[in-house]
Amino acid sequence: MRIAEPERDDVLLRRAARGDEEAFTLLYRRHQAAMYRFALRMTGNNWAAEEIVQDVFMTLMRQPKKYDASRGTIGAFLYGIARNRVMKYMERLPREVALEEKNEDGTGSGIVLQDNATPAAWAEKRERVEQIRAAVLELPAEFREAVVLCELEEMSYEEAATMAGCPIGTIRSRLHRGRALLMAKLEMLRDLPRRASAVR
Amino acid sequence: MKCEEFEAIGLDAERDVSLSEAERAAAREHVNSCSRCAALQDSWLAAGTELRALADATRAREAPARVEMRLRQEFRTQHHTFKARRAAVIAGWALAAAAVLVGVVSWNNWRTNQHPGVASNGAQTNPGDLTAGSGGAKQQAPGQDESANSETLLADNELGDFTLLPGALPFDTDDTAIMRVRMQRGALGALGLPVSEENANDWIQVDLLVGDDGLPQAVRLPQEN
Repeated sequence: MRIAEPERDDVLLRRAARGDEEAFTLLYRRHQAAMYRFALRMTGNNWAAEEIVQDVFMTLMRQPKKYDASRGTIGAFLYGIARNRVMKYMERLPREVALEEKNEDGTGSGIVLQDNATPAAWAEKRERVEQIRAAVLELPAEFREAVVLCELEEMSYEEAATMAGCPIGTIRSRLHRGRALLMAKLEMLRDLPRRASAVR
Repeated sequence: MKCEEFEAIGLDAERDVSLSEAERAAAREHVNSCSRCAALQDSWLAAGTELRALADATRAREAPARVEMRLRQEFRTQHHTFKARRAAVIAGWALAAAAVLVGVVSWNNWRTNQHPGVASNGAQTNPGDLTAGSGGAKQQAPGQDESANSETLLADNELGDFTLLPGALPFDTDDTAIMRVRMQRGALGALGLPVSEENANDWIQVDLLVGDDGLPQAVRLPQEN
């Protein structure tokens, strides 16, 4: 579907650079969710994701001329900034102590589960998703990025390679290794309850 | 396809658009014939399912509304600050230009007052010719260049060129003012000066030294340059 000229990202950005707040808001609303999810899945931290999204759009607001239309879409440009911020966050992560996170509804971890028939099923699924999340967050940054982009953001290898600024073969290789590590981790987690029940 | 190749490119062959159809077919063939790679692919698919569950759980997540509020606030601040700064710069330049203009006009006025050019009027009189059109007065030659005819006043403090009007007493120059007036030569008669009837209707420009009582004390005809 073709987007009308006045609503195209680059047109909105030009308007925003001239001080049009509505254009900036439209641009923000169009891209914020993707940026937030990417940051959340990479960092596993609501506050960090929020801060990263804010930084991304602050950069866009203050330096709109940094965007070069000949090098890709605004979405890709924003992903690039978000990626840098995520990497910086992860670099300083060992020096920071994460506080226990709570959602607005009082639950933790930023994961929202829906349509679970019983509380037991809800709890079981929630626990499982939490394990996957933890396993993803334990992956090395490069593998995690490939997994997040290809598996969670559902990008093609080509798109993921563009976002990560590397060849497709590299993305494929990182994804392969990331998935292998993830599978091993998940297998281990699956086996833990079995072993525990066998001991009993 | 060998097991190593399958692990490298075959596991996700159906999704990887960079692979050719032949490579996909080879991967399918290999997984059908190799139980180890089949198990690996099952594990891979299971991991994919798990990841999709995580993706679904976080699919609806968005940045909190406060981020948008903060950004919009920052946007307003930044652009209003920019506008205010630009307005301040423009106002500064405008003020500077106005100051220069006022300075030029003031200087010009001061200069005009210091060295006023005499308006080109009809007949002119020689400096110091207080007989005002008497036989000894020199009339300006007709056709003479006007610029050469311009007259200037002496400096205000050079009061020696003034001639006391009849009946006036020597005065203190501190309380006097010089007033330049244009009058008919005949009007000098009212000040007690002799006037030739022949030139009585000529317009001349004279400087009057006016005392603090507002009455003329002395008179001077501007000198020619």
